[in-house]
Amino acid sequence: MSNILLEVKDLKKYYKVPKGMLHAVDGVSFDLEKGKTLGIVGESGCGKTTIGRTILRLVEPTSGSVIFDGVDIPKLNTQEMRHMRQNMQLIFQDPFSSLNPRKTITQTIEEPIILANMIPDPDKRFMRVMELMDTVGLAERLVNTYPHELDGGRRQRIGIARALAMNPKFIICDEPVSALDVSIQAQILNLMKKIQREMGLTYIFITHNLSVVNHFSDDIAVMYLGRLIEKAPSEILFTNPAHPYTQALLSAIPVPRIHNRPERLLLRGEITSPINPEPICRFANRCNCAVPICSKEEPGLIEIEPNHFVACHLVGRA
Amino acid sequence: MESKKMNEQENTLEIRNLVIHYISDEEVVKAVNGVDIIIKAGKTLGLVGETGAGKTTTALSILNLVPEPQGKILSGEILLEGRSVLTMSELELEEIRGDKVAMIFQDPMTSLNPVHTVGAQIAESIEIHRKVSKEEALKQAKEMLELVGIPGERSNEYPYQFSGGMKQRVVIAIALTCSPDLLIADEPTTALDVTIQAQVLKLINELRRKYHMSMLMITHDLGIVAEVCDEVSIAYAGRIVEHGTLEDIFDNLRHPYTKGLFDALPDIEIRRSELKPIKGLMPDPTNLPSGCPFHPRCDYVMEVCSQSLPENKWLSETHCVQCHLYKDTNESRL
Amino acid sequence: MDEAVKKYTTRKEFFKQYKKKSRLQETWNRFLRNKMAVIGLFIFIFIVLVAITAPIIANYDTEAIKINVPNRLKAPSTEHIFGTDEMGRDIMARIVHGARISLVVGFASVALALFIGGALGAIAGYYGGKIDDVIMRCMDVFLCLPDVLLALAIVAAFGTNLVNMTIAIGLSFTPKFSRVVRSAVMTVRGIEYVEAARAIGSTNTHIITNHVLINCFGPIVVQVTLYVASAILTISALSFIGLGIQAPIPEWGNMLASGRAYMRDHAYIVMAPGLAIFVTILSLNLLGDGLRDALDPRLK
Repeated sequence: MSNILLEVKDLKKYYKVPKGMLHAVDGVSFDLEKGKTLGIVGESGCGKTTIGRTILRLVEPTSGSVIFDGVDIPKLNTQEMRHMRQNMQLIFQDPFSSLNPRKTITQTIEEPIILANMIPDPDKRFMRVMELMDTVGLAERLVNTYPHELDGGRRQRIGIARALAMNPKFIICDEPVSALDVSIQAQILNLMKKIQREMGLTYIFITHNLSVVNHFSDDIAVMYLGRLIEKAPSEILFTNPAHPYTQALLSAIPVPRIHNRPERLLLRGEITSPINPEPICRFANRCNCAVPICSKEEPGLIEIEPNHFVACHLVGRA
Repeated sequence: MESKKMNEQENTLEIRNLVIHYISDEEVVKAVNGVDIIIKAGKTLGLVGETGAGKTTTALSILNLVPEPQGKILSGEILLEGRSVLTMSELELEEIRGDKVAMIFQDPMTSLNPVHTVGAQIAESIEIHRKVSKEEALKQAKEMLELVGIPGERSNEYPYQFSGGMKQRVVIAIALTCSPDLLIADEPTTALDVTIQAQVLKLINELRRKYHMSMLMITHDLGIVAEVCDEVSIAYAGRIVEHGTLEDIFDNLRHPYTKGLFDALPDIEIRRSELKPIKGLMPDPTNLPSGCPFHPRCDYVMEVCSQSLPENKWLSETHCVQCHLYKDTNESRL
Repeated sequence: MDEAVKKYTTRKEFFKQYKKKSRLQETWNRFLRNKMAVIGLFIFIFIVLVAITAPIIANYDTEAIKINVPNRLKAPSTEHIFGTDEMGRDIMARIVHGARISLVVGFASVALALFIGGALGAIAGYYGGKIDDVIMRCMDVFLCLPDVLLALAIVAAFGTNLVNMTIAIGLSFTPKFSRVVRSAVMTVRGIEYVEAARAIGSTNTHIITNHVLINCFGPIVVQVTLYVASAILTISALSFIGLGIQAPIPEWGNMLASGRAYMRDHAYIVMAPGLAIFVTILSLNLLGDGLRDALDPRLK
């Protein structure tokens, strides 16, 4: 299908630590269509941040393939990779530390353009910077301001403008609004959606905030301890979550309502260690529905209905 | 750790007209600008607001912990069970801190001392306030750990051996050792994963009912408010713009900022194509707008809003709002 | 936005309209608020001016060098403000010319150390791993030797002239600078904007020069002032024991050495150079402390 922009196959990232091997990302596979948004959710330690960095090769994958627009990313050499980066960009979580405090907005936004040598003429390049600032809603009078003079929302807009500077096809957004106030979050999310429509972008949206990801994504992938445990279109995930962890995750969201409050499914225990994990269901120790096989075998990812994948022994068995 | 009987009439905390500014050579940060708070015995008040609303400063002032020399309490009264905090001596304050009033901060990573065992840290509070021997204190510390759902044997372990959620439980254990009358929780679950947050909130709920504690829960998350609180105060630019019971705020809100907060929330049940943000930016506490601080962002702004501060209007026995829309009426104007 | 395009066709014009708020200005203002630091700055500027105008204040050959035995050991007077030394030379003239040597060797040696040590530290800090280990262990070897000893060894082997002294002291400071720069680089390297630079396709060299080093200035500048002070002290120490600047060239350290014999009855002969060293070091330290406070990012 030529409609698939990104194909991730059995992607793994392991770190060597004194106690053994830390499985940060442990064999994740998915496809992403052009123009769509995939939300990746999970709690701390699930590997969602690592997988974003690994796809972009900001962190070298241990094994697996990442096929972007037909090109196998991990196989490119440094020169080719640098060139490929024009197509795949990253928006960071922390709007302060992701901007060089000694560079003005203009310098930050034009840097990628300069590096890729896309517009050699300084005046034309500056016009492009102004255009980008306009797209993300930054006033022209801010051209020579430094990040510390601006609030979180504006700083994040700079981050977005920088990501758009080279006209990428694909952007990974790593918790882009988590550090912002609620009223500003909505502004930034609307902006990102608008840009996606206008520029035909494909997004991966990494977050721990489930309400935000529902609003923003077409499909959602849930990660736990480095593995993909459920993937489904957003409406289906929220109305019919199959994996016990997904169910617990959804029910844990504090609902801003005082009537008809949903039943809370509380998890027991704590997340197990990602170091040298056993080949069993990694969620078994906390699962309220665990059966003996869960502590013996690792469940594979099964498609239980069109486009709905789950890795759980209790599901998909007729 | 017996539960104390409370005089039902007494208010655990009363703050009246609190004004706190941070004054430095370059600028004056108007953090708190006339805040009124009342927490009745055994009840939980949710203090809701975003950055710059003045929530943390207000919380710190209750124990007279506002950082000096910049932080100056310019006016106001803080009464803890009828006693004025601002006139207490340092010795008197030390007696209440940890004993009558306990505080939990946002980041469990930095609230615990990494070089002491968790048992020792819980015992420290017991030793100071209960005047028992070290062995007795450590024994009681173990019991506290069990109470918050951590096996007592772990009391000899160090903070680094615990996860974020467990560290926060230890922090809660320390806070509750002396059965305080008032627990101040400043965004206690913001740094935690959502499933752990659910566990910790459940724990906090159980314990406050068991000890009949009053609580000030500071948060920006209306979901947490719905789960844990009895009453809500909405803070903006150092003022309380709306206050009421859960029903008042969730079913009958009146202030445009409160409405904005609810509208900006993505609802997991209804997927809208666009979220409805509040336009504009958070006000700069060194340069607050004239009149009502929310007027530059308000969809219902009128001329009077930029000229004068709205008075506090009581719409019912429990519900009050600071907005010019309600000068002459109690009906919703939104 | 189209109006903007019509109004300003070039970037230059646009920038003229919206000026940059200078961070330097803010730091300078903060610095000025620290009284001790300002005093240190003034004293230091004064010393530098004295050194620059030394030939105008006192003629080198006739006053600083020329032996004038009948004039010897004269107490301070209007003619000789600091008195004369055991060879009859005007002490003030010698102090003033000595300042040149101290300052030049002090700054030159630190510049050398900064250049070599800084480069090594930046590479070690940025790349980490084996490269870091190799470079730092080499530096550790040098760190084991006390500054003076290392300088001594070099000077003893290659002779005592200004260039050798500069190199000697410079090399002894190199490992110290490499540590300072390395830790500054390591701190910055972990900050997200470095990762962002990599994400937009920067090369490592570009990242080091464009993002990392320009954010390390604070601690480095402070260390520079403090090490200059240290360097001046080292020169004086070396000259004092006879392995530095040799007579008759005036240098504060060798003035102390030769004046020592006459200290009891003619205290002024050592007081002047001693005071000169003291005041210079003090001013540099005050300056360094003031810079550290002014550059403190906590105030951002």
